[in-house]
Amino acid sequence: MDFSELEGIEGLRWSWHSWPTSKPEVASLVVPLSIMCTPLTPFTELPILPYEPLNCSQCAAVLNPYSRVDYVSKIWVCSFCYRKNPFPRSYAHINENNIPAELFPTYSTVEYHLGTGTVSGLASGLVRSPSALSGLRSNSSSFSSVSAYSGGGSGLDWAGVGVAVGPAFVFVVDGCSSPEELEALKRELLHTITRLPENALVGLVVFDAMVKVYDLGFTECLKVVVFHGERELSPEQVAWCSSRVGLVSTKVHDNTLAVREGWVRNRVVLAPVPLLLSCQGAFGPPSHEAVSWEGISSTKKGFLLPVSECEFNIMTAIEDIHSSPLVKPGHRPLRSTGVAISVAVGLLEGCLINTGSRVMVFTSGPATTGPGMIVNSDLSYSIRTHRDLHNGYASYYKTSSEFYKQISHRLSDSSIILDLFACSLDQVGAAELKFPVESSGGFMMLGESFESEQFRKCLRHMFDRDDDGNLKMFFDASIEVVTTKDVKICGALGPCVSIQKKNDSVSDKVIGEGGTHVWKLGTLTSKTCIAFFFEIEHEQNAQPSSAFFIQFITKYRCSNMGLRKRVTTAARRWVGKHSPEIASGFDQEAAASVMARLAIHKAQRNLAEDVIRWLDKTLIQFASKFGDYAQEDPSSFRLSTNFPYETAFFRLMLNREGVVNSLIMVQPTLFQYSFDGPPVPVVLDVCSISPDVILLFDSFFYVVIHYGSKIAQWRKLGYDRDPSHESFKKLLEAPELDAEQLVAERVPVPKLVKCDQHSSQARFLLAKLNPSVTQNSTHTEGSEIIFTDDVSLQVFIEHLQALAVQG
Amino acid sequence: MATPGGPRPGNFPPNYNPNALANNMQNLQINQPNQQQSGNLGGSAPRPPNTTPFGQQPPPFTGIRPGPPPPFTGIRPGPPPPGVFPRGPVPPNAPAQTTLPPNMVSTRPTGPPSVSQPPPIVSRPPPPGVLPSQIGGPAAPSVSGPGPRPGSVSSSPRTAGPPSPTHMSASGPVSNGPPIFAPGMAQSGPQFPPSMGGMPRPSVRPPQQPHVLLSRPSSQPPQVRPGFAGPPTGASSAMGQPAPPFSAPAQNMPPPPGSSPFSAPVPGTLQSSSSPYGMQTWPPQAQQVAPPPIPGPMQQQPRMFGMPPGGPPLPNQSMALNQTGQSKIDPNQIPRLTPSSAVILHETRQGNQANPPPPATSDYIVKDNGNCSPRYMRCTMNQIPCTVDLLSTSAMQLALLVQPLALPHPSEEPIHVVDFGESGPVRCSRCKGYINPFMKFIDQGRRFICNLCGFTDETPRDYHCNLGPDGRRRDADERPELCRGTVEFVATKEYMVRDPMPAVFFFLIDVSMNAIQTGATAAACSAINQVIADLPEGPRTMVGIATFDSTIHFYNLKRALQQPLMLVVPDVQDVYTPLESDVVVPLAECRQHLELLLESIPTMFQSNRIADSAFGAAVKAAFLAMKSTGGKLLVFQSVLPSAGLGSLSAREAEGRSNISAGEKEAHKLLQPADKALKTMAIEFAEYQVCVDLFITTQTYVDIASLSVIPRITGGQVYYYYPFSALSDPAKLYNDLRWNVIRPQGFEAVMRVRCSQGIQVQEYSGNFCRRIPTDVDLPAIDCDKTIMVSLKHDDKLQEGTECAFQCALLYTTVHGQRRIRVSTLSLPCTNMLSNLFRSADLDTQFACITKQVASEIPSAPLAQVRDQATSICVNILYSYRKFCATVSSSGQLILPEALKLLPLYTLALMKSTGLRSEGRIDDRSFWINHVSPLPTPLIIPLVYPRMIAIHDLDEKELDDSTIPSPIPLSSEHITDEGIYLLENGEDCLICVGNSVQSSSLQQLFGISSVEEISSQFTLQQYDNPLSKKLNAIVNEIRRQRCSYLRLKFCKKGDPSGMTFFSHMVEDKTQSGLSYVEYLVHIHRQIQSKMA
Repeated sequence: MDFSELEGIEGLRWSWHSWPTSKPEVASLVVPLSIMCTPLTPFTELPILPYEPLNCSQCAAVLNPYSRVDYVSKIWVCSFCYRKNPFPRSYAHINENNIPAELFPTYSTVEYHLGTGTVSGLASGLVRSPSALSGLRSNSSSFSSVSAYSGGGSGLDWAGVGVAVGPAFVFVVDGCSSPEELEALKRELLHTITRLPENALVGLVVFDAMVKVYDLGFTECLKVVVFHGERELSPEQVAWCSSRVGLVSTKVHDNTLAVREGWVRNRVVLAPVPLLLSCQGAFGPPSHEAVSWEGISSTKKGFLLPVSECEFNIMTAIEDIHSSPLVKPGHRPLRSTGVAISVAVGLLEGCLINTGSRVMVFTSGPATTGPGMIVNSDLSYSIRTHRDLHNGYASYYKTSSEFYKQISHRLSDSSIILDLFACSLDQVGAAELKFPVESSGGFMMLGESFESEQFRKCLRHMFDRDDDGNLKMFFDASIEVVTTKDVKICGALGPCVSIQKKNDSVSDKVIGEGGTHVWKLGTLTSKTCIAFFFEIEHEQNAQPSSAFFIQFITKYRCSNMGLRKRVTTAARRWVGKHSPEIASGFDQEAAASVMARLAIHKAQRNLAEDVIRWLDKTLIQFASKFGDYAQEDPSSFRLSTNFPYETAFFRLMLNREGVVNSLIMVQPTLFQYSFDGPPVPVVLDVCSISPDVILLFDSFFYVVIHYGSKIAQWRKLGYDRDPSHESFKKLLEAPELDAEQLVAERVPVPKLVKCDQHSSQARFLLAKLNPSVTQNSTHTEGSEIIFTDDVSLQVFIEHLQALAVQG
Repeated sequence: MATPGGPRPGNFPPNYNPNALANNMQNLQINQPNQQQSGNLGGSAPRPPNTTPFGQQPPPFTGIRPGPPPPFTGIRPGPPPPGVFPRGPVPPNAPAQTTLPPNMVSTRPTGPPSVSQPPPIVSRPPPPGVLPSQIGGPAAPSVSGPGPRPGSVSSSPRTAGPPSPTHMSASGPVSNGPPIFAPGMAQSGPQFPPSMGGMPRPSVRPPQQPHVLLSRPSSQPPQVRPGFAGPPTGASSAMGQPAPPFSAPAQNMPPPPGSSPFSAPVPGTLQSSSSPYGMQTWPPQAQQVAPPPIPGPMQQQPRMFGMPPGGPPLPNQSMALNQTGQSKIDPNQIPRLTPSSAVILHETRQGNQANPPPPATSDYIVKDNGNCSPRYMRCTMNQIPCTVDLLSTSAMQLALLVQPLALPHPSEEPIHVVDFGESGPVRCSRCKGYINPFMKFIDQGRRFICNLCGFTDETPRDYHCNLGPDGRRRDADERPELCRGTVEFVATKEYMVRDPMPAVFFFLIDVSMNAIQTGATAAACSAINQVIADLPEGPRTMVGIATFDSTIHFYNLKRALQQPLMLVVPDVQDVYTPLESDVVVPLAECRQHLELLLESIPTMFQSNRIADSAFGAAVKAAFLAMKSTGGKLLVFQSVLPSAGLGSLSAREAEGRSNISAGEKEAHKLLQPADKALKTMAIEFAEYQVCVDLFITTQTYVDIASLSVIPRITGGQVYYYYPFSALSDPAKLYNDLRWNVIRPQGFEAVMRVRCSQGIQVQEYSGNFCRRIPTDVDLPAIDCDKTIMVSLKHDDKLQEGTECAFQCALLYTTVHGQRRIRVSTLSLPCTNMLSNLFRSADLDTQFACITKQVASEIPSAPLAQVRDQATSICVNILYSYRKFCATVSSSGQLILPEALKLLPLYTLALMKSTGLRSEGRIDDRSFWINHVSPLPTPLIIPLVYPRMIAIHDLDEKELDDSTIPSPIPLSSEHITDEGIYLLENGEDCLICVGNSVQSSSLQQLFGISSVEEISSQFTLQQYDNPLSKKLNAIVNEIRRQRCSYLRLKFCKKGDPSGMTFFSHMVEDKTQSGLSYVEYLVHIHRQIQSKMA
């Protein structure tokens, strides 16, 4: 079976599909045992179960198709720990012809939705058991009926419960941006506000040398609370300040009341249940939204309000943002980005524990003051480079990183996501900021201007809504991994944070975020992909060809605050020594992605050269072991750029995307369009460039359409407008259409570059091509040359072969 | 005054000051209160815009009060031009006051006025004959009843008196300017006197007086008077003359009998009599006062002059009481304050000699002909002792009271501005003293000798001028700096560390729950809103505004957008300011925003529930906003600062419990709680930020701690307690208005230089001191006085003069850098008697008061009181021992010039600051209030002025005339009377229980005493009585430059207690009566003698 087909069913990519049973053997595999997991893979058919999952009382694994069920005694045996668990009453009607969806063999993945305030899972278990039973049907029929629920996650009628407070968004805007940039940004923000669901909470923070938080509930005039940009605020201070300030606002009480009423009103409209209290009473545990409302009404006041309550105010406030004119000559503008983020986080901490919330930072330059500053505002100090970082010359790096690490802890504790939109022609200093963004699962975009299409599309894409009007965002997620006894969990790489929860299946060996079997993610998307690493226990009891299981339990919250739990259970086989299955079960693409992540992981701690050396070494080892295979070339992933912020960006995205996209990043694709026929993929080599073809290059971040010199000439001559050259016109259009398609689906939106051969923009393409022809080789007329000291793939492979043989 | 609107200004020369003055004066809308009130009440309020002072005023007034009002508004201090002022008439007074007061008076038992003139003659015992004549005039009035008429009486005498003035001068070392002045004044003067309405009576009285005098000895006089007064004894007593007084003296006094009429006895009588007279108008009284004092001394004094030096030989001493039997003292003979009613024309030098200034509280017009006007600088004695020993023997202190920007009288010549171009003013190259009329040019004018350090300098080439035959430069009279005591130099770059700062006004308003609920916030906003129009025009005027409770709210006023932006600073421990650029902006750019904002602030915070106040942090934050320029920070505060930086605790309560435990540490509550605010204040001063505090509260706010900030930054505290939303907004507005429109300067530095032999020992007042020689004043205005105590560091030569020069470098509100230089040159003497004769009572007492006030926080109260008494005793003892020849040890002998010292000292001990009961904050405020207070306001603060207002219609007073004051003794208060008492801050109206309801109806629009509530606003009703009362109140406001807090007092109420607590001559639980006090002092002197 094709690995990617399998991915379509499981949402997993395994570097090795068959695992050897002994530890030394695993070690000799070179590429670690790993799984690239995309928890929210959109499945065409995903059963959505309106009740709580059944957990094994011992290992907490969820009932799954691999569990053995004794229909007579109503007992099931956990496939992981073999514990026998009785079925609860709600499963009373289970029998061989009437099995619940989670036991249906084809559903390796099912999704449960849990309590949302009205009809909680528990409640459904009791109250709605009859209807639940309707899902317990025999085979095909049950399948169809359950699958009616499919559809990515949100949108069922229970989602109407969205009465609850929606997710919260704090927009953190850089007041030092140029007026034009600011105008563009404001336009986008205003647009965003109009597209938010009514129940979404919004807040606005503007920073320059000071940090200004808008009190959106104050109607007498615009009111902001000003924090000093140079001073670090402890969380207590932030909380204290915000609560104090909250009290200051005289309108607060009124507002809060209004909000409440508004909410109740909404609730009445949207939910059939008139009173909150009665809901709670009737349906079990207090709903989350009730709790958060308490929080809001007592502390938060006017800084975070539902859009429905403050739309006018926040629009006014956004329109009010002005570029701060004061910049000392010879200085960078004073930006207190660090404090601004801290304050924004503080606001959210104060009110919305454990519901979805994002801090969205829009900046156009590096932080130059206060905690988290990256460079002195004096222009005579230049911003640090990679080399400075490694040599310890980046004086602010350490303290800033420390500061942002603390921020990331706070983010994680409150399930807040930090997004960074940095648009600047200059560097913005994202390296330090990367940590919180990454660990919170936030989005990072580096662009050149807020006026760019790239930015607009990114932002709009984020706020896309599904057919039911809910944002396509998921919050407050956690992933729990349950394994068969002999499989140990080493760690994970990706936008997640270990919560240091240990159990028997957690290995002492740590790779990436380890030491736990549960990870937390601030947010995730349908594309978020995490690499999990495993190893085999020393004392191996497993028999070759017996099966082992790994279960991923992903708990997350929809943008309407509904809780979901998606459970994926996968089974693979142990294999004996030197089994050919090992090699045949090798997924080189997955392996390349995994290796790329590992490489990045190492790169963050070591010099780029060391990492490349490590990669080479690994590759050699690997090649010598599995010499038959020509693999992808991980080393073509370049760590050459010297700008930390850019690499931070690239690394971050690589760390997040799934296998296919990772591969594109690692090894871009190149298609050739010519009169000779349909587009064909060609080698990523400079040789592929020729005057009479159009090349479409996709490196994930860039999409380049490269016109050969002749093509370009023809185009300039206007042949495409000549009806007699219809085919030429089509040839020109084809790559553009394809490029648009690529651009449309991807976040971050790639930068689309159109260039002609020999033009300056062509560098985007040339930089990524294999230098088979360099200044050192023989030059042929009309071909391209790449000036580089890097070796070409050909040379590299030659070396590799030689070394592997030696090895 | 007469001229309503702004006419006055016209007169003034272009000089900056004058204009400013004129403006200010006019601007001081005394009437406003009324307007406001009316507005509030009736809604009719014309209140018109605050806009231009002039234009506006008219309207308001008109609406409210027909006639008089306008005048008041403008003028504040002195009576305006002679013509204008009714008061003017007084020529006589003037003279009297100037020199003679002491001797003359005493000598001349006669009414004060006359007295003064006669002096020379009088002095001798023989004068008796003389006396009559003069006396006749004056005396009569005194006798007669209570206040009202006396005035009139005196006036009459005066008219006659004109000549007398000259005499006066004669008596003094220097002749006064009377002559000159006389002409102008004469006209007006004469007229007025008559008008005083007193006229009729006066005539009557005179006759009586004689009687009085005679009777005096016997002490019977009182009885007589009663008759006059109409109201029997009671009334008479009130007058102070009443018999009782001096019985004692009479007895003792041998003199009485023989000399009785004139000499000794007379004095007593005079005094008593005088007091009655005094009643007329203020000025007049003053004069009278002088005379009345102890007769005895007066005579002597004159001699003193002639007499040999320190020699005690002089017989002349005033001996008031004698006192063997202490018990008997004729109250009528007790020295009393006798105000003068007329404007005095004072030439600062006459015959090339310093001319002793008129009393500080009198109304005078100065002609600067060498020495600076006494308004700017006056010395505790007008002759300087040559040696330390002489000074210490006298027990008096040598000090200057400097008020560099004092308001001149509208009729005075404006100060000349001299521009030396780029080279700057000519200065001594050694001591850096500024060129002045006493620098001596020698060697054909090629060199000059500094009168301060004695160094000889080359005359700058440009400045050279030949000398005339008299040794003076030929151009001396054309050059102000060579013929005027006060000039203003244009400062050159050399005097600037930076460009002159703009006029920056930052308003900081308390919006905590309490402030909102009591209406304080609304009052402040409204006041500010109205005052905006009065801020100096021009692009250099900047404003800022912020509010605070437990956080600080700034407002961005410079915005293209419609609505203001509020910027909240939550960190009150370590504050900061939001964008520096847009929080303080040019007034012209934000006028509308500002108005809008001020209107909406009260509603914006209407439901504020935050009780905490982060005062310290707010002030600091506002300071940070103005740090780059400096400027004035006006803070409106309503509660005890309880949060953030510099927060305070309600230690008054703690203090109270501690007190019960033991009173030892009670005074600690009058010290600042900690150094936090002081540290802040010093920083403020460094950046030229001056803080004025408007405390509108109903609770304890720890003024002792708060006041440190205004004190160090050259600001002041305004105290509205208990704040009343009904009656205080008007005062708040007027105070604020005067605060911003009065003549003032910024980023000032002041230094006083003295001739060799004397040096400055210490400065005290509201300022910051960073280096010993200079005083830093972030801001200084016309109401601020600095006391400069002096000490000898060498001997002075008899026959030479000792000069004092005060140089104030400051920036005007219009951004010009100026140096105002005032020079005072006084003769040196070796004679003790000269010191006593030339002693300046008002100045001395002001110094004592300031000194004592500064002691209060650091020593137990009893100790401070003793100190006050011992100062007084020591001086009198010295006089008694070395200057008085009278043998009888039984006599209390007072130097004429200082005859009121015991009375003032007694009053001081009963003042708010030295009273043991009373609120801590009240005392703190008093202490603080006194510190920068100018002399003319210290006297009434300690010894308030009381007048009767129930019988206004019987008096034919001019609109601007205030009836004669009544001594502060409850025996002068009747149940049928309504009395008004004012001390420059408060104005209490006490209504007797049996007052005619028609009077009440007319004056206050109520029909019975029961309807009175302590909070009230004065209305003007359409009847003569009410109009007069309003006129009087406005005149007082004008004089005091203060919009008084009006309070009703009812006998028997706590409010009545307040009123009677001002009766300093009464015996009280904790204090002696005046007579007892005299006896007390006398005993102490006697024991010292022994």
